[in-house]
Amino acid sequence: MQTFEYLQSRALFDRACEVIPGGIYGHFSPAPFGQTAAFPFFAARAEGARFQDVDGNEFIDYMCAYGLTILGYAYRAVDDAFKKQLASADAASIASPKMIELAELLVERVAGAGWAFFAKNGADVTAYAVTIARAATGRRKIVAIRGGYHGTHPWMQGPGHHGVTDDELRHCIRIPWNDFAALERVVDEHGSDIAGFIASPYHHPTFQDSVLPAEGYWRNVETLLRKHGIVFILDDVRCGFRLHRGGSNERYGFHPDLICFCKALANGYPIAALVGTDALRTMTASVFHTGSYWFSAAPMAAAIATLQELDRLDAPHRLEAIGRKLNDGLIRIAKSHGFNLRVTGEPCMAYYRITDDDSQMLHQRWCAECTRRGAYFTPHHNWFVSAAHSDAELQRTWDIADDAFRALKKTL
Amino acid sequence: MNNELLKARLNLCAVLRNLEDLPELDADAADMIRTWRLAVCFSVHGGPAATLEFSEGRCRYYAACPPHPDVKLFFLSPSHLNGMFAGDANPVPLKGLSKLRFLKHEFIPLTRRLEYFLRPAPETLAESAGLRAHALLTLLTGVFSVPHLAALDSIAAEIAAATPCGSLQFVVDSEGPIAHLMYDGDRVEAQKGPLDRPSALMWFADWPSAYRVLSGRLDAFTAAGKGLLRLDGTIPLIDNTCRIMDRAAGYLA
Repeated sequence: MQTFEYLQSRALFDRACEVIPGGIYGHFSPAPFGQTAAFPFFAARAEGARFQDVDGNEFIDYMCAYGLTILGYAYRAVDDAFKKQLASADAASIASPKMIELAELLVERVAGAGWAFFAKNGADVTAYAVTIARAATGRRKIVAIRGGYHGTHPWMQGPGHHGVTDDELRHCIRIPWNDFAALERVVDEHGSDIAGFIASPYHHPTFQDSVLPAEGYWRNVETLLRKHGIVFILDDVRCGFRLHRGGSNERYGFHPDLICFCKALANGYPIAALVGTDALRTMTASVFHTGSYWFSAAPMAAAIATLQELDRLDAPHRLEAIGRKLNDGLIRIAKSHGFNLRVTGEPCMAYYRITDDDSQMLHQRWCAECTRRGAYFTPHHNWFVSAAHSDAELQRTWDIADDAFRALKKTL
Repeated sequence: MNNELLKARLNLCAVLRNLEDLPELDADAADMIRTWRLAVCFSVHGGPAATLEFSEGRCRYYAACPPHPDVKLFFLSPSHLNGMFAGDANPVPLKGLSKLRFLKHEFIPLTRRLEYFLRPAPETLAESAGLRAHALLTLLTGVFSVPHLAALDSIAAEIAAATPCGSLQFVVDSEGPIAHLMYDGDRVEAQKGPLDRPSALMWFADWPSAYRVLSGRLDAFTAAGKGLLRLDGTIPLIDNTCRIMDRAAGYLA
């Protein structure tokens, strides 16, 4: 099987380094991939389940822009809605009726939601949710899961991150995932000062296996938080609309006070949403939070079209089926070569790890071999499938994985 | 947390221990110690102890004082030792009074050679040998700082506690494995040389790349993208170690 080269990507990276710190910043940086040389850096175009890099190499994409594209790239109905709104009014000096339409749609589909608020990125709304929780309770502390990610605001970073002071971390308490006893202990100790508890619907950290909620975990958490008047915040930024049309809490049977959405909400167009219960409506209105582009109407139109298409396709079930099929095939192929590929988390956004090597170097090398053959696999973040991943693409992916395992074995 | 104690441990156990490698990097230092046959012990009340043993043109570092050193330098406190490193204090010689002239006229010049490479002038870095010596000693200082930071710096301790168990090997492509760190959950250990099966690798393409990254002239993201640095294996081991190492500057500046 032919492997790719990235001459244009590397030339562009050199150019980028002259004017952009780090060349490519944030979660798009290839630095943690291990075999960096195997990865493309810059995309030229994308359609369906595939993207093409600037060297003309085509990849079946299992990152989906880190979860943004749930329907697939360049999805006609969403793009048309975006363009139509852009042609009439996007950024204006007053709000768009599209904002109401989208809020109504979210309130209708998210159980317990009385209102919706819009921003651009996940961190805009996780930060807002935490501020609302503090305002509503008059308390300071936020409880979060160790290894959980809620954005790059200082209060959500770990110790020792550059530019983050001790003061900014003082009121964030981290506890282990699925450890209800740990939450009870923290509530016993700090209950009267705990404003909110924030977590993802299941544990999907980077560099580690994903872990689903233990039986009864969310029910116990909800009961405890209600008893102590602690605001229950669900960070559904990554999973939102992939696991259930009304938010991932529906999948696991619990009811948060605030839910943060972003990523898949508009199939790649920039918008985030916070939805909340009626009980927090007045306080939310009192907590001032805004941004230059938060009233852009075109992404709102794209979000409306995305939600409608997700319903039409029954997306959560479809994505689960695609994910299960992909995973079963990859596990089988790995086994045929004598490797154990461990797949954790929800099937449509699973985390993959070859367990035959604790260091993960083997896994990094396999992802690299797959990527340079045309299946874009990153080694340390959960992958995503979209509704556009067809059987033909899964078959091509399995062929690539098979060849990559064969190449890997030759080097051992 | 006691900053003076941590600083003393860094000065003695991470910086001064570089005398062990200096003679192999610097002909002047090698000439200086060629005929030395003695053990110099540093003992700090309420702080660390270490010995530099010179013989057969080599220097060896030990993290303790032997029963009968040739010279024993006593420090009343960690801050007393730190004062000596800052040039503001002198040790109390408990043993080896006859060696005071040696200390002043031979040992101190050796430590100046170390400083010459650890705080190099631009012309030192302009030569490949000088740059290599600086980069190697800086890397070793960083590696040997980690256990002490993890033990005594509150932020580093938090980072270390959250670091997965395993080992991190530092490699420079032209020379192979330089040093490694081992995290076992309770403590961190630093060693020179290779490991059989490291959990993670921090690989530099060459010494100039290592120098640029270690000195902060080149960020790790750019270096990785350009192929000058490769991070392999258990990435949180590398990420957390770098965050711990970064804290050393606050004590050694």
